[in-house]
Amino acid sequence: MTIVVAYKWAANPQDAQVGADGAVDLSRAKPGVSEYDPVAIETGRRLADATGAELVGLSVGGPQVGTSMARKAALSRGLDRLVVVADEALDGARAATTAAVLAAQVREIGDVDLVLTGDGSVDEGAHLVPAVLAGHLGWPLLVDVTAVERAADGGLRVTRSVGAGTQVLEVDGPAVLSVAADAVVPRVPGMKDILGAGKKPVAEATVGQVAVSEPAVVGRKRPALAQRKGRLLTGADTAAVAAELVAALRADGVL
Amino acid sequence: MSSTWIVVAGDPTVGTLVETGRTIGGELVALVLGPRSTAQRVACAGVDRVVWLGEPGSAPLEAFAGAAADLVAAGRPQVVLAADRAADRVLAGAVAARTGAAALGGVRQVETVDGVVQVVRDALGGIVRERLALTGPTVLVLDGGALPDEGVPAPVEEVAVTPAGVRVVEEHPAAVGGPDLHSAHRVVAVGRGLRERGDVAIAEALAVALDGATACSRPMAEGVDFFPRDRYVGVSGQRVTPDLYLAAGISGQVQHMVGARGARIVVAINTDKDAPIFRECDYGVVGDLYEVLPALTEALGR
Repeated sequence: MTIVVAYKWAANPQDAQVGADGAVDLSRAKPGVSEYDPVAIETGRRLADATGAELVGLSVGGPQVGTSMARKAALSRGLDRLVVVADEALDGARAATTAAVLAAQVREIGDVDLVLTGDGSVDEGAHLVPAVLAGHLGWPLLVDVTAVERAADGGLRVTRSVGAGTQVLEVDGPAVLSVAADAVVPRVPGMKDILGAGKKPVAEATVGQVAVSEPAVVGRKRPALAQRKGRLLTGADTAAVAAELVAALRADGVL
Repeated sequence: MSSTWIVVAGDPTVGTLVETGRTIGGELVALVLGPRSTAQRVACAGVDRVVWLGEPGSAPLEAFAGAAADLVAAGRPQVVLAADRAADRVLAGAVAARTGAAALGGVRQVETVDGVVQVVRDALGGIVRERLALTGPTVLVLDGGALPDEGVPAPVEEVAVTPAGVRVVEEHPAAVGGPDLHSAHRVVAVGRGLRERGDVAIAEALAVALDGATACSRPMAEGVDFFPRDRYVGVSGQRVTPDLYLAAGISGQVQHMVGARGARIVVAINTDKDAPIFRECDYGVVGDLYEVLPALTEALGR
């Protein structure tokens, strides 16, 4: 059996510069395995070790996804091998296109009965790719998964957060699981892991046919922030500062 | 004129979806997963008809996503609307896959310009806002809004389907709720500046004095569990629009602020005078929340 971890190679928008015209400059934002995806890889590694499954990393995106640095960054976190689709046509690809390409690769890998993803990408964070991917595969998707184990009958026993509570579910067939950001603490790759990563197999696949009609961008701008007063209340006497703040909030009519 | 569909997974607070669907025009159909009460509530929300997939039993709503997507696809909608909630997004994704539609999250505005549906959405975690013209069938995920006004009920058609093989076998509901974050007029949010779980009481005391609710930044709800997971404000958490948002010990990273920018007044309390939140606040206090919050609680009592 094979477990696939679908991960994203992306930069944190916090480090991007946005011009007044909405042009995004990502040159100072360093891409990496998207913030929460190492949690999915670690979850997959532990499950694969417990069940003897193979753990395959899968990522699709622009040419950066296929660089040696990107490959090693993913493989050093515990994957057995990698499948990447690195193509200019997928640079900045939207959710539906990304998910369609991922689904085609999951089918291509074959013998897959579980796909794991992280909890939302660091850049878009729309939480849609796993949902569309599951739709293409015709498998159920459970999100906010905090624990997963293989049941004796071959199914899955999954624990997930719902609101502030939790649920335990039994899943019969193949499934897509989106792992919560704090499900496990991912390993920090050491020098040995990084060197070993260079020797692991990587398969490069092509985009193939995608039938999604993505929308056309007709405008882009930096969001106008609400005009805020920006008034700093200072003083050594905390009680006096607090009283001043309360008076100001009363004057604003928000208390 | 093609139809517009709203897909609902359990929660009938879809007022904005109904309003948005009405502005697009054409027949407005709601597909509802969950108990009969949800279907009946949505039927009174101003839609033309409701397709309901029956009582879910022990299957989670996600197990119905595939069957639901088939029903939506048969209606050949150009636009499908879903609320930005976990189960609703699962349903939205299944519909997008089944209909070959594009899928857009973070949608803030939908309008028709010269007969073409245009969408304004937050991209890249909210650092840029893009305007898009739809070129084919598209699933839009946006804030669901409030519970819609109750009007004349539309017909509800029950369709029996077989869910995927998933069962809920154990339920552990949350022990305590606390006031609703979205209806609170005043929100006290704390971040990494809070050192210990027991110290949450300092924020709660202020929230009580303000007759408001407490919230937090993401790290406070994941890993350290100072707060339940549905209490963090941010791009992938809650987006709140209170009169007052008081952020203590929160630096103000963009992923957090996107969830708080709808507040009328923002107060920032932080020991770091260079914290980005001071650039987006109405009132700022450079100081330790352990001193400032109790002082505020005290000042409010006077």
